[in-house]
Amino acid sequence: MRMADLIGGVVVLLLGLAVVFFSSQLPYYSEYGPGPGFLPLWVGVVIVGCAMFVLVNVLRKHEKIGVFFKARTKLGLRVLAMIFITFLLLPLLGFSIGLGLFVGITMRIMGRHHWASCGLTSVVTAICIHLIFISWLTIPLPQGLIGW
Amino acid sequence: MDLLNNLYTGFSIALTFNNIIYCLVGVLFGQIIGVLPGIGAPTAIALLLPLTFKANPTSALIMFAGIYYGVAYGGTITSVLINVPGESSTVMTCLDGYQMALKGRAGAALSVAAIGSFVAGTISVVILMAFAPALAKLALRFGPAEYFSLTLMAFGLLTVFGGEQPVKTVISTMLGLLIATIGLDVVSGMPRFAFGVPQLLGGFDFIVIICGMFGIAEVFCSIEEPEEGELLKSKFRLRDFFLTWQDWIASRWAIIRGGIIGFLVGIIPAGGITTASFLAYLAEKRASRHPERFGQGAIEGVAAPESANNAASISGFAPLLALGIPGSPTTAVMLAGFMMWGIRPGPLLFQTKPDLVWGLISSMYIGNFLLLLINIFLIPAFVALLRLPYTIIMGFIVIFASVGAYSVNNSLFDVWMMLGFAVLGYLMRKLNYPIVPLILALVLGNLSENSLRQTLIISGGSLSIFFTRPISAFFVIAAILAYLSPLIRWGWKRLRRGLVHAPSHPESNQSP
Repeated sequence: MRMADLIGGVVVLLLGLAVVFFSSQLPYYSEYGPGPGFLPLWVGVVIVGCAMFVLVNVLRKHEKIGVFFKARTKLGLRVLAMIFITFLLLPLLGFSIGLGLFVGITMRIMGRHHWASCGLTSVVTAICIHLIFISWLTIPLPQGLIGW
Repeated sequence: MDLLNNLYTGFSIALTFNNIIYCLVGVLFGQIIGVLPGIGAPTAIALLLPLTFKANPTSALIMFAGIYYGVAYGGTITSVLINVPGESSTVMTCLDGYQMALKGRAGAALSVAAIGSFVAGTISVVILMAFAPALAKLALRFGPAEYFSLTLMAFGLLTVFGGEQPVKTVISTMLGLLIATIGLDVVSGMPRFAFGVPQLLGGFDFIVIICGMFGIAEVFCSIEEPEEGELLKSKFRLRDFFLTWQDWIASRWAIIRGGIIGFLVGIIPAGGITTASFLAYLAEKRASRHPERFGQGAIEGVAAPESANNAASISGFAPLLALGIPGSPTTAVMLAGFMMWGIRPGPLLFQTKPDLVWGLISSMYIGNFLLLLINIFLIPAFVALLRLPYTIIMGFIVIFASVGAYSVNNSLFDVWMMLGFAVLGYLMRKLNYPIVPLILALVLGNLSENSLRQTLIISGGSLSIFFTRPISAFFVIAAILAYLSPLIRWGWKRLRRGLVHAPSHPESNQSP
């Protein structure tokens, strides 16, 4: 966790420096008062200051402060990957079928439910998404190549 | 007389069939969300917000308010029956509620929580009716200097209530302000941090961020650390819910005190319902003649925090409605809803939209009454929900978050951004950077920046204007004290440690 905190602090520090750099490209003061770069510059400065404080704190303390990767972190990352793939496939499959499949597959992977019940849940979810969001609430969700 | 007129206006709106249904749906949703793990009130409202775009704003807000205070009722069930708080605001209820359940008094614990919430909620609505218009009247005197210093104070108070690492709270607040600046600058029309991406010129939509940071990020956290506990096998007969005379005597003042503490904490920006329940529990323990009973199943230990969290959830509407400043993540999401419907909450809202304000406030009486009935007669149905597999809940969250993010601009770009914010929210939680300051700063970012710029234009660039105006000076001093509070606490601790370790008889150290 200490390493993760250290990396987190460095990322925040770099972000702060980037904010200071990019906001210094914007006008700090204009004829009407503070310009568009005024607040972001100060925000960047405060981020840099705080990030340095965090880093110094992490480097100074040597006690263990929890674990970053836990026993079930892998499972969480697997779900993240599945959401990622689902979103990639949404233009092809459409929201109803894409998200319906996502629910069924996660049930199988995480809950270890029977294939039949996962398949049935997928179908029911897809139908519900179509009926509620597309037909009832008329949200123009992408309907994919199948058009559903 | 005005109060009665307002009450009449409010009830004539809240008691229409349509609004009663919205209120009922809201409190039922709230109760269910409170019971279910891994989903809280801000997430639920954020996920539903895009779907209510075409609804009547008053009705939708009545439903959202119902969700907000309903969640506090629902979270009690898991606190009492499985010793796992359904919501952070019911953490304190676990201490005595679960002990009561172990002694076979789960019904009484749930009952006193419901009755306490109802009584304190009602007290809070009554005070809110008198307090909110007075606050709005005061706020009519606010100029940009006051608004900037008010937001500064709200951000500062986050460091008081925000958690163990105030520096990380400040970083989180700054990230929120930074995200709020992305897009076209409203004064100069110049793009900021858009990097030539046309979708970023309009900035990030609040709903996209909240669906990611609260909705999907919460899924990852819940998978990693599931809230598991063993459900106590309690049979709920109606008579188990009736309190004994001793219970009434023991809990009556706890409910009143909890209600008042809850109201006061709720109106403080960034105070929040969790802090309210925590303070009410501590106050009750201190006021009790038998503090040793706390943690062993004292009914006051359930009554006080439960009353406080409900009262705070209602009084949190005062700064939102009267000042346009949300005090908690849930009211921040509601502010996004106001913006979505083109309504600007603030002092003028009481004059321009009295039907909305008083309809919403009056609906809280109805909602609390409905929740009291639900919590006495329908508990077994909600207990059954605890058996719902998390994979199903997770599926619901992902579906609603994706559809919600997409429907903002009918664009898949927003869905991807939502996933990006989900990863950011997850990492922030893991590294102990609080999310709430980011969300509040994001919502208040534009108000804060515009007020600052307007003030400096008025004063010709001089910062003294913030100190020469009394209300602004009060807010700025409160903000400075809030930011310094970690240092003050640190100094106080060292001083006390020094006093403890100091020799009590200095003369004994003297050599003969």
